Amino acid sequence: MPDGESAGGAPASYLFEFRGKGSEYFRIWIVNLALTIITLGVFSAWAKVRTKRYFNGSTFIGDHAFDYHASPLRILVGRTIALALFIAYEVSAAVDPRYALLSLLLIGFAFPWLVNASLRFNARYTSYRNVRFNFTGRYFEAMIAYVIWPIAGFSTLGLLLPAARRARDYFYTNNHTYGGRPFRTEFSAGRVYGLVAIAIGVFILAAAAVFAVVFGTEWLIVNKLLHGHYDPKYSITAVSVATGCFYFLFMSFAPALHTMIVNLCVSNTIFDGRHKLKSRMSPIVVAWITVTNAILTLLTLGFFYPWAKVRLARYEMSKLSLQADGDLDTYVSETLEGQSAVGEEIGSVFSFDFGL
Amino acid sequence: MIDGRYFLPHSARFIAARAELMDGKTLRVCGTDGSVLAEAPFRKVKISSRLGNIARRLTFADGAVFETYDNDGVDDMLAEARRFFHEGWVDRLERSWRTVVVSVLLAGAVGAAFFVWGLPAIALQLALHTPADVAKLMSDQTMSAIDSAYLKRSKLSPTEQKKAQVLFGRVASHAPRGENGYRLLIRGGGPLKANAFALPDGRVVMTDELWALVKNDDEIEGVFAHEISHVDRAHGLQRVYEASLIPAVIAVVTGDLSQVSQLSVLLPAILVQSAYSRQNEEEADDDAVEILKRMGAKPARFADLLARLNAKNCGKKDCEPGWISDHPETEVRIEHLRAAEGKK
Repeated sequence: MPDGESAGGAPASYLFEFRGKGSEYFRIWIVNLALTIITLGVFSAWAKVRTKRYFNGSTFIGDHAFDYHASPLRILVGRTIALALFIAYEVSAAVDPRYALLSLLLIGFAFPWLVNASLRFNARYTSYRNVRFNFTGRYFEAMIAYVIWPIAGFSTLGLLLPAARRARDYFYTNNHTYGGRPFRTEFSAGRVYGLVAIAIGVFILAAAAVFAVVFGTEWLIVNKLLHGHYDPKYSITAVSVATGCFYFLFMSFAPALHTMIVNLCVSNTIFDGRHKLKSRMSPIVVAWITVTNAILTLLTLGFFYPWAKVRLARYEMSKLSLQADGDLDTYVSETLEGQSAVGEEIGSVFSFDFGL
Repeated sequence: MIDGRYFLPHSARFIAARAELMDGKTLRVCGTDGSVLAEAPFRKVKISSRLGNIARRLTFADGAVFETYDNDGVDDMLAEARRFFHEGWVDRLERSWRTVVVSVLLAGAVGAAFFVWGLPAIALQLALHTPADVAKLMSDQTMSAIDSAYLKRSKLSPTEQKKAQVLFGRVASHAPRGENGYRLLIRGGGPLKANAFALPDGRVVMTDELWALVKNDDEIEGVFAHEISHVDRAHGLQRVYEASLIPAVIAVVTGDLSQVSQLSVLLPAILVQSAYSRQNEEEADDDAVEILKRMGAKPARFADLLARLNAKNCGKKDCEPGWISDHPETEVRIEHLRAAEGKK
């Protein structure tokens, strides 16, 4: 690993690593949750910052961790504004439903601005090696990526959704900067369609396989081994095993497809025109982690949640890498003109996450 | 003396360094060769709070940062300089097993209490204060969606339909909103089969297939009374409000709004919803018994219809879709209703 003192621009490969521990995050999570309850929600802003700092601070590229710098007070103000707006909306809707429609229309137009404000807030308060990220999305870009494309996608019965997904990933990735230098991703919409086709194909094959194996086994047992003596119990067992497998398949589909698209987007991302990112997550492993996390969280009445989050982050980060062409220590934070305070505070309420 | 890395102002460039507190007042950062890299009054240096085992950041006014993993060393400095206004107490709570156990108990108790009493009460208040216009708008949309997706035109003869309407009117006149407060719609069930459901604005839908199973007036009156109770208690609206409040709760628990769409939090949300629905059914059954008794009808007959539906739908194989399948634990309900008959 090259460190900051060594000069020169030798290419180097850096691995991402998540070093957080489930037991450590559990204690942070539960104590912050208890404090949030005791303070009737006021502490939630501090809880959010501590969570974010823990995850950023545990995510390493090479020998350095990310960091998070947002001020809890700002987030508290943002949440208060949002709550006030929500109450105003509820009250006006109760007075006259037409106000509710008007507010919804307003929210629709404010939405692209909110997306930008939130992404900018997140990026600007995230740093790596003392250098800040930034997000440069404009109103109309957000409008196209988050409103126009999804509408086009759904109104064509999903036919354009893969293209919409690519538009969103472009908007997200290509507007992020680090030390004022851009991230660029480029991949054809055709490849997204290809991945969707693969996902659907594998899904159908897997469903057929479940069907064949479960009922084939049942048929063998019932007809061959038991000399035709039929007990309905076997059918019931077969049906419930098959149903379980189908549920599993259904729940796996979205995370698996999402993982493939993230791999595609990240692996085609180049930072500053020379450093390449690579993501090699296995869609099957991510689907397995996601579904078992859901089941375990359910069985433990929510108390498994911190381990679930850490477990997924550990896997995701272990499959991410950075092929650096030259030193990373030449980057310097850009001087940023201040974001309007209100925008920043509102932005702090929302947090749209991209599956990096 | 604590070891760490000194980052130049706003830069990714760093130097292996050591920090030292001089006279409890001045923070000095030196390179490994002893050269002074930075020096500033300690109280002007921003120090990030301790959290797990992540790095501590000491930020100078010019944007330079001294980063260290020696958390104890930094805490010693803070103590020596008598700087106590930081989040150290949160970290101490997080590291103490005692507070962790207390927190688990507190969160568990508050969570349980909230889901058992708090959320239904809030949803009920919101539902009862929903303007009639809004309820009607929602009902219109739901009805047109179900009509176009599942339901068919009724094939019952006009006399049969008339009879159903008369029975419905009889039940309605014994319910809080009176005869004009509710309306009965009759439809062919299609895939919904033998079914009945209520909409928030007072419409009750019954399918031909359910009517065909009825052997006695009291039986279908029980169904009507049960559905009318759903209307009176605004159960439909309550469910809508609960569904929209649960994500807010998840956001509090996970500390992050973006987690709402995650599978691991969606599944529990669905489960909570179905528990509420079971509770609603019990309430509607109790109300139905009240109404039926007031009318002089026999609740046990309502139970007979349930038993017949149950036998028809859940005979040999899995339960078919129908009025029974979204009404869990039918046997318990049947017993409950039969017992209610005996009581005065």
